[in-house]
Amino acid sequence: MLELRDIEVRFGAITALSGITFSVKPGEIVALVGDNGAGKSTLLSIMSGARRPSGGSIIFGGETVEFSNPRAAARHGIQMVYQDLALIPAADVATNMFLSREILRRGPLGLLGWLDKKTMRREAGRQLDTLGVTTLSSVQNPVEMLSGGQRQSVALARAALALADSSGGGVLLLDEPTAALGYRQSRSVEDFIRRVAGEGIGVVLVTHDLPLCFEVADRVAVLYHGKLVAELQARDTHPDEVVGWITGSRLQSEAKP
Amino acid sequence: MELSTRPGRSFADTASGLLRGRGLFLIWVLIILFFWAWAGPTFFSLANAQLVASAASTTAIFGAALGLCAIAGALDLSVPGVAALSAVLASQLIVVGVPVWLALIVCVLIGVAAGALNGFLIGFGLNPMATTIGTLTVFGGIASVITNDVPVQLGVPSPLAWLGTSQYFGLPMSVYIAIAIYVLGWLFLTKTRAGVRMTAVGGSPEGARRIGLRIQGYKLLGFVLSGACSAIAGIVVASIINQANPSPDVQTLFEALTAVALSGMSLAGGRGSLLRVLLGALIIATVSDALIIKGIAPSWSIIATGVLLIAALGSDLLGSRGFSARRILASFRRGPGDPQSDEKGA
Repeated sequence: MLELRDIEVRFGAITALSGITFSVKPGEIVALVGDNGAGKSTLLSIMSGARRPSGGSIIFGGETVEFSNPRAAARHGIQMVYQDLALIPAADVATNMFLSREILRRGPLGLLGWLDKKTMRREAGRQLDTLGVTTLSSVQNPVEMLSGGQRQSVALARAALALADSSGGGVLLLDEPTAALGYRQSRSVEDFIRRVAGEGIGVVLVTHDLPLCFEVADRVAVLYHGKLVAELQARDTHPDEVVGWITGSRLQSEAKP
Repeated sequence: MELSTRPGRSFADTASGLLRGRGLFLIWVLIILFFWAWAGPTFFSLANAQLVASAASTTAIFGAALGLCAIAGALDLSVPGVAALSAVLASQLIVVGVPVWLALIVCVLIGVAAGALNGFLIGFGLNPMATTIGTLTVFGGIASVITNDVPVQLGVPSPLAWLGTSQYFGLPMSVYIAIAIYVLGWLFLTKTRAGVRMTAVGGSPEGARRIGLRIQGYKLLGFVLSGACSAIAGIVVASIINQANPSPDVQTLFEALTAVALSGMSLAGGRGSLLRVLLGALIIATVSDALIIKGIAPSWSIIATGVLLIAALGSDLLGSRGFSARRILASFRRGPGDPQSDEKGA
């Protein structure tokens, strides 16, 4: 459904990405791995609309699309959870989860842009329940009062809410979702990813966490120096092979014979 | 996800919330009690309360202008310039015989246009503070040019007496206007989509952008609201003194800034309560009123305002550290880059 063809990104004289052709199907979980500076985050930002490619095209649902900003990508049902979460610290949990997709009151007050805070709080609480978040005392707490793991849950719940709005056929982009988390929290992120994919949403997961890759991903795509050097079915490969591709040693050994 | 909460931090937050919220009201009450004991029954009288309310109302309207823009993440220092320009133009219209209601609408529209110009310029990435200092002088300069630097006299009887000098239930119109602006501003910021988004943009522009909000649009909205409030403040002041002065009154800007700072509102944007700005304006008016009653030179009241401002900022710092001496000492040892504040960026 989301397909990138021959994507190229240049920063002045530097080519960050070249000839990237990559896709994710509904319900598929693709892990995007690579060393620091390999271009993972850049590729993710192309898909999220935060950055425009210098060349190549993006095809979504069979049509060529252009994402000039994250809003445009979100309209197509593409949601991104950033590594730094992109939450508003001073705003409360419910406000954060509904920001840019607020529910308004019905009637004349709605025309004035009056928020239906009651419904938003209830829905936010319900969404967090669905994700198994039980430690949040209130969705009216400001996000800055939450722990790192709770903030992560709020960011994931926000994405899940937005994807539910896009009535299936969405794509979830995750940038290092477990980098700041402990073991048990990481496990619940795994559960979250599986549940989202189970609803027919494609997931692209950028991570350094290889155990997570093998735990949840259907496919592992490896970037090396801005090029997509390998796409492996998770069940047909093993961590050593992936590491070989990440470090480039595999690339040299394949090139020799 | 199963995660532990951290009680220590939430205690500090509660303490600072108390200080910045009800605490400010408490400070006001203490100030009133102190001056009552010091200045006697002349201070603690209904007549004097009316004086304080009138004096606070214009500071409060200017404070709303600054506060609304500060919440959107920009400091609008052009406020007195917008006030001077719109009041001068509206007064000239009234003097040449344009209906008062029409002149007042034009006045507010000039404020809106001036605010939009500010927002437009800042949209190019110009620094808000420097830019609005620039537009402050430009707006003031235009007002001087069109009036030949002579105040516009509204005449006797004043067509704006109902706005400036008449009293309703013992209070001038400016008090009701200030109350209306604060109630509407509070409703806007807390109950409406645009207000909540504007606050979010002020608090975390990058986060808001990546969520998909048009951040320039919401910043512009902050400046437009600031411009409209400035214009209202300008014509209110003109109606009180029965003339529109083309030179921007920078002293009111400092008083309004003090009211905003007293409220604990972040000048960096995204946090703070508009209603507490109103309380800040009342505190300033109370202090200068009491000093006048005691026959103390007005310069002292300016000094007192400055001391209040620094005290407010200091107590804010204390509040965010959680009040205990151990924490304060620790903060001195730790220096500015303490780990608690690092967490706020996430």
